Amino acid sequence: MLSSIFEPASIAVVGASNNETKWGGMILKNLRSGYKGAVYAVNPMEKEVQGLTSYHSILDIPEDVEMAITAIPAQLVLEVVDECGKKGVKGLVVLTAGFSETGKSGGELEKQLVSLVRKYGMRMIGPNTLGIVNEPFNLNASVIGKLPRPGHISFITQSGTLGLAIADWTIDMGIGMCKIISTGNKADTDDVDLIKYLDNDSSTGVIAMYIEGINRGKLFLETARRIKKPIVAIKTGRSKRGQKAVFSHTGSIAGSDEIYSAAFKQAGILRVDTIDEVFDAALAFTCQPLPRGNNVAIISNGGGASIVAADECERQGLNIVDLTPETRDKIKAVIPEFASSSNPVDTAGTVSFKIYTESIKALLRDPNVDALIVIYVHTQMSNAIPPAEAVVEIKQKCTKPVIACWMGGSGTEQGVDILKSGCLPNYSVPERAVKALAALVKHRDFLAKTKTDDAMPENLGG
Amino acid sequence: MSLVLTEHESKKLLAKYEIAVTKESIAKNADEAYAIASQIGTPVAMKISSPDISHKSDVGGVELNIPASEAKATYDKIISRIKKALPDAKIEGILVQQMAPPGHEIIVGLKKDAQFGHALMFGLGGIFVEVYKDVSFRVAPIGIKEALDMISEIKGYPILKGIRGRKPADIDAIARVLVSVSEMAQKENIIELDINPLIAGETGAIAVDARAMIEE
Repeated sequence: MLSSIFEPASIAVVGASNNETKWGGMILKNLRSGYKGAVYAVNPMEKEVQGLTSYHSILDIPEDVEMAITAIPAQLVLEVVDECGKKGVKGLVVLTAGFSETGKSGGELEKQLVSLVRKYGMRMIGPNTLGIVNEPFNLNASVIGKLPRPGHISFITQSGTLGLAIADWTIDMGIGMCKIISTGNKADTDDVDLIKYLDNDSSTGVIAMYIEGINRGKLFLETARRIKKPIVAIKTGRSKRGQKAVFSHTGSIAGSDEIYSAAFKQAGILRVDTIDEVFDAALAFTCQPLPRGNNVAIISNGGGASIVAADECERQGLNIVDLTPETRDKIKAVIPEFASSSNPVDTAGTVSFKIYTESIKALLRDPNVDALIVIYVHTQMSNAIPPAEAVVEIKQKCTKPVIACWMGGSGTEQGVDILKSGCLPNYSVPERAVKALAALVKHRDFLAKTKTDDAMPENLGG
Repeated sequence: MSLVLTEHESKKLLAKYEIAVTKESIAKNADEAYAIASQIGTPVAMKISSPDISHKSDVGGVELNIPASEAKATYDKIISRIKKALPDAKIEGILVQQMAPPGHEIIVGLKKDAQFGHALMFGLGGIFVEVYKDVSFRVAPIGIKEALDMISEIKGYPILKGIRGRKPADIDAIARVLVSVSEMAQKENIIELDINPLIAGETGAIAVDARAMIEE
């Protein structure tokens, strides 16, 4: 059970160290900084580690141990894992490197490790992982310096160091995270197991992934397709073409990357190009309802920004919808005479709580409008706070997605903080806001389609 | 081991999955060429059939629009040309086939992929696929709706719907071909397949040329 890894009642660190710059020291320290369950240190060379009794072997621990983390050299892993099995450990996080990632002999060792893990019915993350984080459980079983802020995004990463960097970055950006999972070599637990687990995990709202390669491709697609939670993924290796000497046109055009894109699309996985986009989309999913359709309204105090947004809508397949005459009348009543009441609505530089409130209300009540993008462009004559207050207030009572883009430097900061407090992530430029909205629309389309479609019949065969 | 099928063998495979193919037979000699051409009844295409030759027109192995009365002479002409150009090539005979009907040139392909199994490709054929790579992909198996989506996804879709007085293509027929190809992918152990072109007229779609590589 993966719950033994993510929500264990007790944890032993095998290879625990007094030196906090070593993995076995760092991970013990990180664990104890938040985790509420029992923690045991195992190191035959020490009597005490970071103030804890150090056991010679995991078998010497008098209490039950549900999960073990190994930070020991590769040649010792089999022996230790065998002891873990005998002890009744249910979950393993094997930080140790030196397995299939190093070549043939390492691959052989990994096979032996997996058969041992399975012999005892344990589950394992790794080897060669930087660990896992489960924020709602205050569990930091990783070498990431601190727990992320609470949130509903769970991130599966095939690159450990990228996971590390992103974890730190999310803290700085104020992005809340639920779980961070560095998969390592995926020798036992792989993407299929993890997305299934996260699908059933009530604290996960959206699954974000960094993927280099998938082990069980067909099963992964089948599994992903049944998952209703959004999955946003970045898959690297786009530049790789298919093989050179080819027999057919199809063979020369269908590189593995094109096939990945098609497969992800069929499985409802949103493939994005950049790490920014992964989290832009993921944040939108955690804070916004799905739109009913792709009809978008834009309001801005600056024409340029709304044109940029409208152009990006076009590229993303979103429709800049015609507003009803009633909506236009309501907007006309509050904006200056020379401003534009047609979509995109342009307040011609004027900004006030009233203008934004009344216009946004009218736009959201318009039956033609499925989603709204609110843009504020900072100038020396305007104040970022009133429009932010307006949008947050309306957002509380509204069932349509509202995406915010407050552009400008330090002058917008207070406005952005108000947005964040209302679960309105701010997108720094219109294109990012539009792409995040497009992700919501695509996911909604996928859900609508899977109810009726035969995109991938149950009997996949093969 | 992989095995490359000739055009005729590839089309027999397609026909097994109810994909329409051109009327055709292999002539072993000039008399047979005449007999087959007469039976088809309209001008024919004549193509060298050899497991050693995959790019038939590059070596002068293709003649088009041949009336039955010229089939014999054309047979001899192609054979002597090939014997001269490729003396070691094993020649099975000449494929005498119905000329392609008018319609839209389409490419339908299949490729076995290590991660996900078989991938299907659809696109407009000829220069469109060569230059613009205006194609769409799906992982097999797919059903008819997914096939229709795949068709409507390419940039050139309006061309198939019929623009500027051009006749539209039978899109449902193309979709059925895609579903059939998806079905044969696994059953026939296909490594790679091109149907190029599949000609889609106002009613129906017919495989005019095909090449397949299968796993033995």
